[in-house]
Amino acid sequence: MNEHDKIRELLALAAADALTSAEKKQVAEHVRSCIACSNELEAWRPIASELRRLPTPQPSSWLVQATLARAEAKFTEQAEHAWNRRVMIVVVAFAWLLTIASWLVFHVVSGRFERLLGQQFSHTWISFAAFTALEWFAGGVAAVMLAIRQGGERRLA
Amino acid sequence: MAVDADVVRLRRGDLNALSDLITRYQNRLHRYLLRIVRQPAEAEDLFQQTWLRVVEKIRSFDASRNFDAWLFTLARNLAIDHLRRIRPESLDEPLANSWHSENVGDWISGKDHTPLDHALAAERRTEISEAMARLPMMYREVLALRFEDEMKIEEIAQVTAVPVSTAKSRLRRSLEQLRDALEARYPGGTWQ
Repeated sequence: MNEHDKIRELLALAAADALTSAEKKQVAEHVRSCIACSNELEAWRPIASELRRLPTPQPSSWLVQATLARAEAKFTEQAEHAWNRRVMIVVVAFAWLLTIASWLVFHVVSGRFERLLGQQFSHTWISFAAFTALEWFAGGVAAVMLAIRQGGERRLA
Repeated sequence: MAVDADVVRLRRGDLNALSDLITRYQNRLHRYLLRIVRQPAEAEDLFQQTWLRVVEKIRSFDASRNFDAWLFTLARNLAIDHLRRIRPESLDEPLANSWHSENVGDWISGKDHTPLDHALAAERRTEISEAMARLPMMYREVLALRFEDEMKIEEIAQVTAVPVSTAKSRLRRSLEQLRDALEARYPGGTWQ
């Protein structure tokens, strides 16, 4: 492809103001000496000019308000979701803390009671395991109930 | 690049910032979607979906990046998914019954001085709009982004997810096709 053909390919883009500064310079230099390309560039200009001046279609007057209302509802839902997630993390962390703390408490208390009451409390790990299982069962039930409630709210929304 | 204050506020959860952004982008975004899907009702639905997606994803958006390109990319992806679902053929082929058949009174007019100028300019733009509406989706889109949204080639490449060289050749081809369509319909440049 010779220089003339290369420049000719750039003319539409020149009218669209989509050339690099080096390409602009090349085109400007070429059209000064090439009447055919100069005419071609002039033929592109009204197309580009009309495209820039195409009227803007107007959205319906309610569109912005409707969009805002939906977006705000989504925003609130997301904020609530994030809050629930944070609460859940805190609850789980607290449950673990309680489990570990209760183990220590049981250990200390059972040691003392063991000395006071003999062998009755020697199998404290059974009590501890039962207590932990009860804690996690209650937590599981609460989580399922929360999930069901949230699912219902989402369906209604 | 300057960080958009409204975008920063929106990332912090400020709903007024969302209102400001929607108001600021309403005409541009709506027009872009209309150029792609060509049906006003569909464009309005996609407009709403785009902002819902913005709310959903704004926290993962890097505020130092170009919000325009990000917003238009979200809109484009939704529009293409929509077309793929509803009218897959429209991604390649032009369709009749499009936005250009809207009443001229529904549009904001340009700066035409006399009633005759106004009428001639409106007619010229209707012709060019009609020719543009007959182009394939990827060409309509690139013309809308360059001439109506005044995006740079680099931004167009970002929105359309193609290399800059492809965006450039797509723009050139879209102009050539538009000119061919106008000259075929109005031989001798009479559309001007």
